[in-house]
Amino acid sequence: MQDILFLEHLAPLLQHMLVFLGLAYLFTKTPVFTALVNNSLSLPDKVIIYLVFSGFCILGTSLSEPSIQTSDAIANTRAIGAVLGGLLGGPIVGFLVGITGGIHRIISMSSISDPINYIDIACAVATTFEGLFAGCVHHYLSRKGKIETLFSPHFVWHVAFIVGLGHVAIILLFGVYTSNGMEAWNLEKEIGLPMLLANSFGAALIMYMIGEQKQACDELSSSAAAWRIADKTASIIYGRFNQESSRKIAEIIQRETRVGAVAITDRNRLLAFSGLGEDHHRPGSPISSEDTLKVIKENKVLFADGIRKTYQCRLKKTCELGSALIIPLRDDANNEVVGTIKLYEPKNKLFRNINRKLGENLAHLLSSRILAGHYELQRELRIQDQYKILVAQINPHFLYNALTTIGHIAGKQPDRARNLLHYLSDYFRKNLETSDDTTTLGCELEHVKSYLEIEKARFEDRLLVQIDAPEHLLTQVVPVFTLQPIVENAIKHGTSELLDTGTIKITCIEHNDSFTLTVEDNAGLYKKSNTNGIGLKIDERIKMRYGNHYGIDIQCEPEQWTKVNIHLPKTRSKHDPYNHC
Amino acid sequence: MIRTIIVDDEPNAREDLEKKIKTDPEFDVVSTCANAFVAIRDISSKHPDVVFLDINMPKISGIEMLSMLDKDNMPRIVFVTAHGEYAIEAFKKNAIDFLLKPVKSDRLNITLARLKENHQPQSIVTEAFPTDLTFVPCYQGTRYYLINVKEIIHAFSSPTTGVHLVTGDSEQEFQTNLPLKVFDDNSQLKRCHRQHMINPDYIKFIEKLDNGLGKIYTYGNHTIPVSRNFMDNFPSIA
Repeated sequence: MQDILFLEHLAPLLQHMLVFLGLAYLFTKTPVFTALVNNSLSLPDKVIIYLVFSGFCILGTSLSEPSIQTSDAIANTRAIGAVLGGLLGGPIVGFLVGITGGIHRIISMSSISDPINYIDIACAVATTFEGLFAGCVHHYLSRKGKIETLFSPHFVWHVAFIVGLGHVAIILLFGVYTSNGMEAWNLEKEIGLPMLLANSFGAALIMYMIGEQKQACDELSSSAAAWRIADKTASIIYGRFNQESSRKIAEIIQRETRVGAVAITDRNRLLAFSGLGEDHHRPGSPISSEDTLKVIKENKVLFADGIRKTYQCRLKKTCELGSALIIPLRDDANNEVVGTIKLYEPKNKLFRNINRKLGENLAHLLSSRILAGHYELQRELRIQDQYKILVAQINPHFLYNALTTIGHIAGKQPDRARNLLHYLSDYFRKNLETSDDTTTLGCELEHVKSYLEIEKARFEDRLLVQIDAPEHLLTQVVPVFTLQPIVENAIKHGTSELLDTGTIKITCIEHNDSFTLTVEDNAGLYKKSNTNGIGLKIDERIKMRYGNHYGIDIQCEPEQWTKVNIHLPKTRSKHDPYNHC
Repeated sequence: MIRTIIVDDEPNAREDLEKKIKTDPEFDVVSTCANAFVAIRDISSKHPDVVFLDINMPKISGIEMLSMLDKDNMPRIVFVTAHGEYAIEAFKKNAIDFLLKPVKSDRLNITLARLKENHQPQSIVTEAFPTDLTFVPCYQGTRYYLINVKEIIHAFSSPTTGVHLVTGDSEQEFQTNLPLKVFDDNSQLKRCHRQHMINPDYIKFIEKLDNGLGKIYTYGNHTIPVSRNFMDNFPSIA
């Protein structure tokens, strides 16, 4: 008898549950759904939750068929609405959903012929209790920072089961209190267990579905936002990751995500800051947060959620920002962290999960942009390079001077003039044969020697040249036209301005896994303005090719000497050092 | 004979031009100079009629050098340059002749022919290239220096050792091949005596003496004579 009754009650409850599931599923497809899963609820969000789950409560009561009505109490799924409303909306919403469901229960089940009895009141109170209890669970979890647990069906099942037990207890208490103890007991014996099970499973299932939909929704909207940002920033960063481009990007991200603030840093400095706290987070200042430095060092995402791990601004105690997501920006080409992007929320606001995902997407996006820009810049430089090389190959000024000098010499020393013509044609032949980007140090030195022979003829005893490079380094790879333009500058803006003898020294020093070529003159007339940016261009080219550890530095002792040091990594060429020379 | 000086910092260019000029027997190359310092010395000592002057030279360019020459004893200048733009400028002003490097014999002969017709001093040169004296080529023993004209306190000429300059806080003394006349024309130095010039910025006070003479005290507490003829240059005591 008991078994049949149990099934008799359980079966329709499961049917209701299916109806709820269907409705809930439809609901997750409506635009208002996002309100339900927003981690920081606004008042309109709460109103929506209240309306939806009060609806569930009312539906739960209304769907109950009179046929399984036993002494006024009806096996029903009202509790599902109350529990879910409380869990999602918090204590106040839960309480309101419960009391709405309860009042509806009283109104719908009583009539003039059937006045309000203790069961009606008990059911209303129990439903209110269910909503309130679930709401308190929400409050507790959100304070613990474990709001994500809400979407665990396992957890929801337990909550629903416990409030179900509470529900039974309330009915029994009311029964005893109004001297209807026996009747209440019989009633619960009949419908208590089916309701308990149906409501627990139902709540868990619906919550599971909501959780799934929420995740899909998060991903969808975060990638949608990422796309929007990608679209808007597309033209900005291309190739140039600097203060100006960063500022625009930070502004766009902050506008699109509506987080408290957005910062972009390079490895040392804050490049841009947009949002709360702009007054003391000044672009250009060095990075103050240890967390950021840690992210740069370890190349790992760091999330200070404001609860388990708090974020405290180091610049200003009263800074409003309380949580931060710090993501490294990687330059995969050189496998190094080039900077970070940081999303902040103020202390009174929770970090939205969606923004966490979005932040990671954005960092990925910016990283690949930087990479793309890097390649683009490299390509541009290569084109410029090729152009420069072309011009250098012709080098009309040099050719003019060389031919004039040889012309002067031809009259008095024809043999010497013929030799010089050979050096000149050597020089140009090497220029023509330069098809690769790189050559060996040996080749480059030979090239420079041809060049210097002509210059020595032009200045005669006013120019001395010393070249000192260890034999075993001659196979090292150097980018073409690295040395010659620097030597040319040393003469043009250096020794040719001397009244006395000018000396050009070219030396090569070996380090562990790199080497330094030095071009030294004895004029000491280096000024940043008179190098035509050739040094800078070569420096840029070397850094692009080999990374920031290499490149050019210039030292100058005014009126004494100028040293141009070219730092290059060791890469031995497979070819014979003079193979192409 | 037309006395000629060649100024060019490239030895082969110098030799080549010398050889070509010497094919004309009317020209006597009295000196060839590798820079403006030497050229100024030789121009003031050898009084050439013509100077073939390179423009691009170390420290002092050919154009800067013009402001360092005595206007009243200006030789005829022929610019020899690799840079066409200077030549065009000179041509427009119709001031001086110019030759483009490398100098071809045909073109040179035209210039030499013009010079033979007229090799009178040519004061118009400095009007074509007006330049104030900013740096003064000097020497101490065998070392050459360029001194900013603002640093000069006192300049004086000695009949035996030429023009001397006293400069700066440490009151170093240099010698220069520029005549005092050049400072009269092209600098802020004021003549106070036939043999002395003073930079007005360094005058502490001037004492008036009985016989119409004066005495300038500098901030370095040196005294410089003021002669009767130049008293008018100092209206505050005149």
